[in-house]
Amino acid sequence: MYLIKKNDVKKIAKALEEKYTLYGPYVDEAFGQCFFDKVSADNVDLNAPIPTNPPKHVVFPHLETIMQYKYDKNAKKVDIAMVFDDTPKVLFGLRSCDLTGLQCIDRFFLGQEFVDEVYRHHRSRMFIVANTCVVPFKQCFCVCTDSGPAAQEGYDVNLTNLGDSYLIEVGSEKGKAFIESFGFAKATEEQLKQKQKLIEKSITMFEDIATESKAWASRVMNRVTTGFIKEEVWEYIGNQCIECGACSYVCPSCTCFNINDANTIAGNTERVRTWDSCSYEGYSRMAGGHNPRKPIEDRRNKRFLCKLSYSQSKKYLRPGCVGCGRCAWVCPGEIGLPNVVTYIRREIHE
Amino acid sequence: MSYRPGVCTFCGTGCGHYLKVDGTSVQGVFPSRVHPVSKGRLCVRGWNIHELLGTQERIIKPYIKDSGQANYQDAIAKLVSALSSYKPEEIAFYASPRSSNEDNFALMKLARLVFKTNNISLQAESGHRNSLDVLYNGTGFAGMLGSLEDIRKAEVLIVAGMDITTQNPIIGSELHYASRSGSLLITIDSRMTKIAKLSKKFINIKPGTMRIVFDAIGHYIDKQQWGDTKSAHYEEYKKYLATVPFDSIEKETGVLPAEIAFVAERLVKAKSAAVFFTSGISGLSYDTVASIYNLFVLAGKIGKEGCGVNPIVGINNLQGSFDMGCAPDLLTGFQSIDDATAKKNFEKKWGHELPQFKGKTVEQLLADSSSPLKALVIVDHDDGIVKYADRLQSLPFVAYIGAFTNKVADVAHVVLPITTYIETDGTFTNAERRVQLSLKKCDNTFDVLPMWKLCDTIAQAAGKAFNYQGASEVMDEIASLTPSYESISYKLLSKKHGVQWPCTKKNHDGTKYCVPEKVSFVLPQKPYAAVQATQEYPYLLMLGKSQHYWHQNNIMHKTFIPLREYNATLLLYPDGYMAIAPEDAKKIGVRDRWPVKVVAEKASMKAMVMISDDVAPGTAYVPYFIREGIASFLLAYSDIVSQGEEATIPVRIEKV
Ligand code: SF4
Ligand code: SF4
Ligand code: SF4
Repeated sequence: MYLIKKNDVKKIAKALEEKYTLYGPYVDEAFGQCFFDKVSADNVDLNAPIPTNPPKHVVFPHLETIMQYKYDKNAKKVDIAMVFDDTPKVLFGLRSCDLTGLQCIDRFFLGQEFVDEVYRHHRSRMFIVANTCVVPFKQCFCVCTDSGPAAQEGYDVNLTNLGDSYLIEVGSEKGKAFIESFGFAKATEEQLKQKQKLIEKSITMFEDIATESKAWASRVMNRVTTGFIKEEVWEYIGNQCIECGACSYVCPSCTCFNINDANTIAGNTERVRTWDSCSYEGYSRMAGGHNPRKPIEDRRNKRFLCKLSYSQSKKYLRPGCVGCGRCAWVCPGEIGLPNVVTYIRREIHE
Repeated sequence: MSYRPGVCTFCGTGCGHYLKVDGTSVQGVFPSRVHPVSKGRLCVRGWNIHELLGTQERIIKPYIKDSGQANYQDAIAKLVSALSSYKPEEIAFYASPRSSNEDNFALMKLARLVFKTNNISLQAESGHRNSLDVLYNGTGFAGMLGSLEDIRKAEVLIVAGMDITTQNPIIGSELHYASRSGSLLITIDSRMTKIAKLSKKFINIKPGTMRIVFDAIGHYIDKQQWGDTKSAHYEEYKKYLATVPFDSIEKETGVLPAEIAFVAERLVKAKSAAVFFTSGISGLSYDTVASIYNLFVLAGKIGKEGCGVNPIVGINNLQGSFDMGCAPDLLTGFQSIDDATAKKNFEKKWGHELPQFKGKTVEQLLADSSSPLKALVIVDHDDGIVKYADRLQSLPFVAYIGAFTNKVADVAHVVLPITTYIETDGTFTNAERRVQLSLKKCDNTFDVLPMWKLCDTIAQAAGKAFNYQGASEVMDEIASLTPSYESISYKLLSKKHGVQWPCTKKNHDGTKYCVPEKVSFVLPQKPYAAVQATQEYPYLLMLGKSQHYWHQNNIMHKTFIPLREYNATLLLYPDGYMAIAPEDAKKIGVRDRWPVKVVAEKASMKAMVMISDDVAPGTAYVPYFIREGIASFLLAYSDIVSQGEEATIPVRIEKV
């Protein structure tokens, strides 16, 4: 535990930038929207609001070539090469909900019977600097999903803004070695307590600040798991879905993908992986034309079962929703997860 | 920091997005949260637009049919010498409603100034011209009267026969939002579309009766003396209403008189109301648009905040392409080519006389086998179907200008590649007249020219160079010649989410909703006649066009996810389908996916049954898939098919 001056944050970012490609929050200069993306240490902005895009694209890009092959007609030979990206990357200033999302993705791609090599390479040389939310944002509900406002684990370094200084905690050997090299002043127990107080205060601020979405998920998880939800409720929800896929795309923990082959002008074939969404009709259609989830309400409930049922939670070791509220931002229906929870709870209480 | 702001160019909604760009490639897309229309939303197409922009199915080299791959210089020389060998009446330009304003203006200038022809028109435009004509004749304003940004301000919202959540999903979303926040959303349609399901009131009308339903609402308002009788041509409108058979309205349209009264009352009492209908790929007839418009004049819902008669275009820059004068009889900003002042301005600016003869649309020229057409320049054709393929094949000269590989390019004698919209600067005008600037985000690796530049290069080869240094200079010229674009410049548009024309020296911020100097009723051109089912042909067959437009869209075929999504139905029903109500299926004795024979007076076809609650008993719905059987059936009814959204054919359905 160390205490640093505010300016030292840049110093840390600069040091990381030398060894890693730096990813972090920045504010777009044209219209002021915040993104999490490749950024220089000079532009990374820890005070920026929660980025509108989750960091998922760093390890699981929207569109990515994962294999290339070329068929040599004369030699009757195929050249196949996997395409990996193992450039060292640092995720700088990750908020707790997004870090939790990353852990969910880890469990899907790495924690099951099958290990996804493409993903493993992305993730293999990564350094994570988390950033405690001492103030929540309008659409946040991580307090309902146990994923914030402060990171508990999974980071190499965690930063907390104490007002005029930052508290640094290390979460791994790698993080420890890195921070030790600076020779910063040690923090006291008093300052750790100060951090705890700030987190408690942040939690109480949800009531007034985070007013856009609330999702008291626990009762709903029970309902979703036991299946006691009336069909009309799913229909009400399903009717509002226009199948845009946005909820999956902006979700820090969604992992659906699609694989396609495309010919290049150079004469190769590339195998590309793209994001996909369970809301799409084509996603669950099986070869032969049978679609087990044809009606839209079934596809919709599939997503919420995935996010909120116990069986899924066993896989992620937590609910699939991390409380960032982004799906409510982007949904053309009004069925972001917080709303869905509200609709289901409304039914429970009626 | 690779997210760059821009505009989605799939449909006429014109949603704001950010493209994730790395040097020469686009790797992702993300919605803009502060865009005034889309407010952080995109549809399935918009969310995957990077798949199209990254496609390798590009045209990368000029091509001359006789000699193979070529350089620009030779291909352009070939084009210029070929076109110069024909009379202006024998040449035509087929512009794309996807091209930017600058590109289309440059093409229009090339056609009129360099090749002296007025034969220039847009692909897939049919319906929107009807809408523009009605609105122009009524208000002097050739564009949406209201505004998408104002949807939430309307107390009553009417969707007239449009599957809006499929065609322009984010406008559908906006309507849904308004409805949930208290607006009364009414859908009037012959099918239970998604927006019908989301509406507070769904009025199910018999196919082909949209016009009379709107007239009936007008008639009711007039009878109650609630209407605005001061607008010009009121007496003629009243006289016309007297010819419509209202006494039998229920039999005629399937709508109860009480439903008519309900809409009439709510419409008149509301402070503000807006109506939305499809316009473009397949729109409504002139007379139906006139009926809709007249109702809004009568109800006093023109020229006020939150009000609007709003044609919704499917293709991104269809509105802008008309604004750029891509029509035989139009200069920019809907100025008639016969308007002496406008003509003089152009001639002064360009230093040449404009062609005198009356031009024709490319469709007219292709359809008429005795037309003088010999040479055709086609830009970015994105219809999966090539209409009049035989005529096209037999033309002595065809040139194709485009960014993506395309079936039409195969018949061309000269092919000229151009950049995609993110590889150059350009503006696009969405359905609500919002002119939005899209800046270059990416270099193209193939050394191909942007279209505005290509047109300039062709003009130069023909000895009449335009001398544009950049796309912004093209816009400056547009502004100088177009009253409604008067104040638009790249400087004005930068760091803005567009401005809505008219944008004049007096009004730099543009115009949200039109306040006409004078409002007139617009008289219909033809008497009303509904198609009736008979004992022999008891089902009314509807032809769905716009809903399925994206299926046949060549551009769509260069993506992965949207392609799969728009083809999902096709995979279940590979030869297309005909949707009928469950009770009719029972009557005919068929189940889902069973084959049937559809017999009409002039032709018959085979189809696969889809049983659906979304169509009413007594009606059937066939999407406009281009499959042999259906195509030849539709050919026999091409006059009806050309009625767009309202096309209705009485048929008999037989089990086979
Ligand atoms: S959801 Fe929680 S962790 Fe995420 S940004 Fe909001 S407060 Fe921070
Ligand atoms: S964001 Fe909303 S409309 Fe889009 S797929 Fe998800 S639930 Fe459906
Ligand atoms: S609604 Fe139209 S403009 Fe908006 S994202 Fe979809 S295709 Fe693009």
